[in-house]
Amino acid sequence: MKVIAPNGDKLNLMPLNVGPSHGATHGCLRYFCALDGESIVATVGEIGYLHRGFEKMAERGTWQQVVPYTDRLNYCSAMMNNIAYCRAVENMFQMELPERTKILRVIINELSRMADHCICVAAAAQDLGSTTGFFYLFDSREMMMVIWEKLTGARLTNSYSRIGGLYRDTYDGFEEDVLAVCKQAEKNLRDVHACFDRNRIFLDRTVGIGAMKPERAIQWGWTGPCLRATGVASDLRKDEPYYDYETYDWNVVTGTAGDVYDRLMVRLAEIEESIKIVRQALKRLTPGPIDIMDPRIRVPSHALAYQDIESLIGRFKSVYEGVRVPAGEYYCGSEAANGELGFTLVSDGSGKPWRVKVRPPCFTQFAAFQELVEGSMLTDSVATLSSINIIAGELDR
Amino acid sequence: MNFFETLFPVLETKFNVEKDASAHWDHSVIAKASVLRDLIIFLRDDESSKMEMLLDVVGIDYLGFQDYEGPRFAVEYVFKSISHPGRRVRVKVFVSEQDLEVPTISDLYPIANWQEREVYDQYGILFKDHPDLRRILNHVEFEGHPLRKDYPAHRRQWLSTNDFLLPALEKRLESKGYKVVQHSKEVLPNEDEYLTGSIQE
Amino acid sequence: MTPEAREGNIFTSSLDFLVNWGRKNSLWPFPYGTACCAIEFMSTETARYDLSRIGSEYVRFTPRQSDVLLVAGTITYKQAPILKRIYEQMAEPRWVIAMGACACSGGFYDCYCTVPGIDHIIPVDVYIGGCPPRPESFFDAMFDLQKKVEDESYMKQRAERLKDQIEDIKRKSKECREDLILRKNEACEMVSNTVRSKVNDVLDVFPFKKGR
Ligand code: SF4
Repeated sequence: MKVIAPNGDKLNLMPLNVGPSHGATHGCLRYFCALDGESIVATVGEIGYLHRGFEKMAERGTWQQVVPYTDRLNYCSAMMNNIAYCRAVENMFQMELPERTKILRVIINELSRMADHCICVAAAAQDLGSTTGFFYLFDSREMMMVIWEKLTGARLTNSYSRIGGLYRDTYDGFEEDVLAVCKQAEKNLRDVHACFDRNRIFLDRTVGIGAMKPERAIQWGWTGPCLRATGVASDLRKDEPYYDYETYDWNVVTGTAGDVYDRLMVRLAEIEESIKIVRQALKRLTPGPIDIMDPRIRVPSHALAYQDIESLIGRFKSVYEGVRVPAGEYYCGSEAANGELGFTLVSDGSGKPWRVKVRPPCFTQFAAFQELVEGSMLTDSVATLSSINIIAGELDR
Repeated sequence: MNFFETLFPVLETKFNVEKDASAHWDHSVIAKASVLRDLIIFLRDDESSKMEMLLDVVGIDYLGFQDYEGPRFAVEYVFKSISHPGRRVRVKVFVSEQDLEVPTISDLYPIANWQEREVYDQYGILFKDHPDLRRILNHVEFEGHPLRKDYPAHRRQWLSTNDFLLPALEKRLESKGYKVVQHSKEVLPNEDEYLTGSIQE
Repeated sequence: MTPEAREGNIFTSSLDFLVNWGRKNSLWPFPYGTACCAIEFMSTETARYDLSRIGSEYVRFTPRQSDVLLVAGTITYKQAPILKRIYEQMAEPRWVIAMGACACSGGFYDCYCTVPGIDHIIPVDVYIGGCPPRPESFFDAMFDLQKKVEDESYMKQRAERLKDQIEDIKRKSKECREDLILRKNEACEMVSNTVRSKVNDVLDVFPFKKGR
């Protein structure tokens, strides 16, 4: 492609396509760049390769039936999406959850956040050539998987949360398992830091690469760790606290330069903060009910349904007709691992959602991708892409 | 006092907006498409609101909605403030099936570019003066707009070729001040010429 | 017999056995991972499950160097031509594993944009159910595939391939011959009768004469 540059130079650019099936694109996305030698002059991104019709499918089932679909949005931290969705619907009922549910949700949220950050940094490490870091981080993730399996029966797509409660209570020994994971995660974190912190190759490939200014990041709608890496201390758990996040003792982690290094390190530091929250939450965990006692919202338990006819009818109706969410429109955002995961819900008062729109956090991050990589080298685009943690499932829904 | 209670009278006198009756749990205003851009510039820049972040652009199809009369579509903009954490506002514009047009805000918020493309892709709502209104989630050969209520969920559409990005790349180069002298062509190579690649001079 | 053979350093086997033994113990996968199932495949690679036990640790991200196309995740219509292209780029022998409900049948995305099973696009050898399948079931599928590889006959494949080649050669020679007759007739008309007999003599030497 022959072009004339703004300064009058004649260039012969090479168009190069990366993706949709490429080792560095973690799922299915594609960018098409014009290269001058090895540096990227211009690039355009293309998404939609994993557009699975979440929003259309959600309109077909009942409110409760959307929960398994939310699992597959950000499949690295599936339970967090369940909780974000259920919280949005619960807010429309303006219900108050039992104390135990709130604490359990906090624990699960934070464990999922840890798992998600583990995957993101692990994949970035592997793209940068550090397979060791990849294995360290996956180790603690595998331990979490064991807990999830015991808790929910599934490894990855858990569907643990329900509107007005949780799928079931924890098992015996849950607390010890979680504490063991925390301990192991801390150890692995030390190992990972030993791998990266003074590693010349890692530093050369991440410091100052793909930097973003805070004002620009806000204009692009960045949220979550990527925005915090630019130095903006914006975290929904502090700004608009839910589930009593304000009563835990933890800090918002921010970076300074907003480059690849900051984004990865913010994630690693957030794992530490999450461990802090989990430890505090475990101390508060007391036995109690996990579901709200309202048969119009939460399905009555099997034990009750076998005993009295009201519960049986309640069970039948809530499965057959679904939860009747009050009519209206609502946007509710929660702090997911990647940023603000928002649901815009439109209800017409019946048992089925009229419209469910997800606001995926990495959509905005990938939209800004061209600004991040233009002018840098082709190899840096790989590091940049893995640091903004694109999850195709929620990018394309 | 709630920030919205002070903000709303200002908006009402300035832009003639209404409160959205369906927003019971957060704050939403209904605006006319003609004042939309001014309203959003005001929301973004004015000290009293400072909605610096556009979170989402949502399309809604009300075809067959219970007890509903009015334009068929709506576009909803979700804003959030960073300088005043916790402040959020939604702005809703109704779009009738006949004109299907809303002014773009992609020059005010860069992220709106892709979000508006998505609404166009899913609902067919046109954004006036949008720089690059292409499909984003569905493929190039897709016909119709899948999230409209009258599009059957099962109507599948096969894609026969690939979607080409070269025109978009040239557009991007031109927007950065480069002048494309020689245009290449992107083709779908057949069995024999796969080694030559899909870009032809 | 040479002295080495007498000492037991040589064993005899069939060529099929030997080739299949080699093939089945180094199945290099190409992970066409698109969605959640790909994350589960990542777990399969890592230390706890350890894919290298069966000789498949060498995950190649290029279709030209891999044996098994591992389709993990939902395939949408936008991706379908790409998947087909990748399959076509792989060298023979090649096998395909459909991992997860989505790749097998579309899974619970029954919608305007998802392909209801990749077997609409490419042939599949092993299907793995589950959403996502556990790493154990992935191993099970690999073992199934190994069994399948074991049963294949290299010699038969070779005969098959040769059959194609022979067909090809036959077709080409037939074309060639027809062309020759045509040219000969043309030539005959142009030259005089006396020369004609000579031309005939020259052409008769050509091996395809018999079929005339
Ligand atoms: S089968 Fe389930 S886990 Fe696998 S890609 Fe499909 S939805 Fe995701």
